[in-house]
Amino acid sequence: MKLELDVPKLTRRDLLRALGIIGSTGVAVSLGLGSFMTVAAQQTQPGMPQPDEKVDATIKRLFGNRSISPADGKVKLEAPHIAENGSVVPVTVEADLPMTPQKHVKSIYIISDKNRRPLNAKFSLTPEVGKAAISTNIRLAETTDLRAIVEMNDGALYMVKQEVKVTVGGCGG
Amino acid sequence: MRPGMLFSLVGSVAVTALAVAYAQMAAPGPWKSRAIPEAQGEVKEIDGKRMQIRYKGAPFAREQRDWSQWRTYAYNDNRPEPPMQKVSMPKDVKGDPKLGRKLFMDGAKGPCTGCHLIQGDDVWPAGNIGPDLSTYGDRLLPDEFVYQMIYDSRLFFPNTAMPPWGTVGIFKPDEMVHILMFLKTQKGNPPFVPPPEKDPDRNPFTRKVKSYLGDNLDPTNNPAMDLADDAMVDWAKKGASGKSCGDCHTGGPGKSMKGVATKYPKHIAKYSRIMAIEDFVSVHAPETTGQPMPSEGQANINMTILIKMQSNGMPVNLDLTSPEMKAALERGKASFYKRVGERQHACADCHTNAPGKGATKFLGGRLLGDVETGLTNHFPTWRTSQGLVWDIRKRMQWCMLPLGMNYLAADSVEYAELELYLASFAHGKSMNVPGIRH
Amino acid sequence: MAEVGADIGRVRIRLPSTIAKGEVIRVRALVTHPMEVLSFDKERKPIPKNYQFVYKIVATYNGREILQAETTQAVSQNPFIAFPLKVTEPGKLVISFTDTNGKTYEGSAEIKF
Repeated sequence: MKLELDVPKLTRRDLLRALGIIGSTGVAVSLGLGSFMTVAAQQTQPGMPQPDEKVDATIKRLFGNRSISPADGKVKLEAPHIAENGSVVPVTVEADLPMTPQKHVKSIYIISDKNRRPLNAKFSLTPEVGKAAISTNIRLAETTDLRAIVEMNDGALYMVKQEVKVTVGGCGG
Repeated sequence: MRPGMLFSLVGSVAVTALAVAYAQMAAPGPWKSRAIPEAQGEVKEIDGKRMQIRYKGAPFAREQRDWSQWRTYAYNDNRPEPPMQKVSMPKDVKGDPKLGRKLFMDGAKGPCTGCHLIQGDDVWPAGNIGPDLSTYGDRLLPDEFVYQMIYDSRLFFPNTAMPPWGTVGIFKPDEMVHILMFLKTQKGNPPFVPPPEKDPDRNPFTRKVKSYLGDNLDPTNNPAMDLADDAMVDWAKKGASGKSCGDCHTGGPGKSMKGVATKYPKHIAKYSRIMAIEDFVSVHAPETTGQPMPSEGQANINMTILIKMQSNGMPVNLDLTSPEMKAALERGKASFYKRVGERQHACADCHTNAPGKGATKFLGGRLLGDVETGLTNHFPTWRTSQGLVWDIRKRMQWCMLPLGMNYLAADSVEYAELELYLASFAHGKSMNVPGIRH
Repeated sequence: MAEVGADIGRVRIRLPSTIAKGEVIRVRALVTHPMEVLSFDKERKPIPKNYQFVYKIVATYNGREILQAETTQAVSQNPFIAFPLKVTEPGKLVISFTDTNGKTYEGSAEIKF
């Protein structure tokens, strides 16, 4: 594991060193972008809490009024029907859809209706991955419908949904 | 009595006597735990309150109560089971079915739905260890009978898996009256026919079970495979004594550890106790290399995975011939059947496949494993619902808390001998470590 | 995996042990990171501060960006992703995880046939 700043080596590094932002070993510290990039102030705190959002508002915000078709078997969503632990819920989305430069899955959205902010994650793919699939672990606040929305490069949207029940308590741990 | 019957009677008495004799062979003395503090089971008084020091993460963090008053597997814990109480229903309580339904589904109490199905789309995920109560009201059983059944069903079923709710004080008398009044409302239409099921997953009798989580030995699927790599670093590392594991165990783990784990848990004369790989590593590593590897510490778990992996594909091959192993096996079996905790459960209640017992059935939403099919050969296992590896001792420790008892140290002799009993069912099955489970 | 707080920023990438040219393989990557969750005040409002979580993941293959993810606090601790990759040429796969404190944690893996 390396900690590297993906920037042109000489000039920026020297600048950062001069500003005391990184030490002489070149190990990255908090970039503290706000300290010398005043214009991008709103970018400096990406971890600030955002307002609550209902899932309909999330869908509207992400897709406007675009029509979302049922995936109709083309997209498989795998998640436990009964999840032991809302903090770690494994999810896999696999789309039986092309991945050619002309026609490919551009994005996969994972949305949990009952979360305070329903969008768990958005994955952007390129044809180089060869297949439209993604796995990750998500957090669910409570029993909820879980949706995967797949976006094609031509704008078409497909959705598949499954309820995930989150259990609490008992021996299953 | 015919000679054949007399012979088999004498034979079975002799076998039982031998078993009892082995079980009573002096159990090893208490073991000074080499586990990390959270895994030692210590109970302390903090700010005037008794608390057990436990793991910080989920699910342990959910359960903070001290359960010192309830008996455990500890060999020096000979407190009796709470005696069965025969009771009468209080006459002055007006049962409220609505309140009874809330109590029935209350996770802080039972929930009763953990074992019993009742009507209602909001009822999920009920279990099916106990009888389906969806039309219990049609049976028109006397109130006194139902009250006793809830209070302490041992009067009718001495070997029941059902906790004696009233005797141990989980439910108060008036609460049990509400529950029984609720159960009387559970009727079918026509009698004994419950409403049609809208969701097959709701009903534990028809619920789908998804169990396959992919190839547990594929590193792109099972993150636990990374831990073996971490253990390799420790294997080669010089400890405080100036030596590494590899200095004595030459040829690398693949050569020096091949087949080793198939014999564990086993009796280690030097320590006069049964040890699994985790237990042995916790004493052996510091004694030889000077590297501390406390039980339930990450280094210990990683090294256990590395060592066990070298026996993958080889059959579990416990040597149960020695008197020490036989005695430990009997003690482990006795633990398996011992009723413990506030809930008065034995492992056998959930993990054997028999009428009224839980294996292959659902406890709430969880499918219970049948240990008699041999399940120890995939531990330590990656838990996809935790993002962590659990060894079998942590698995045991977690069971203890919902049962209402404090856990023992991860490396306790009692757990090791219980593990031996469980491992005996895996004899002949292939080692397959690390596992992957929800 | 490591206890919370230990070893933040450790990236692990796993590829299949044998790879054939043109194959679509599965790549698994994860980084040790607490993915800090919201804390709430007495009125159940989120306490305003810059919570520490990974919000961006970028995978490049021989310098070309092949996959990107925008992640949130609703992704589990020690963020884990697995994705396919069509291996047309040997080279270097680099996966970086950027968190809200501006730190980027990176790992790489060699792809050889």
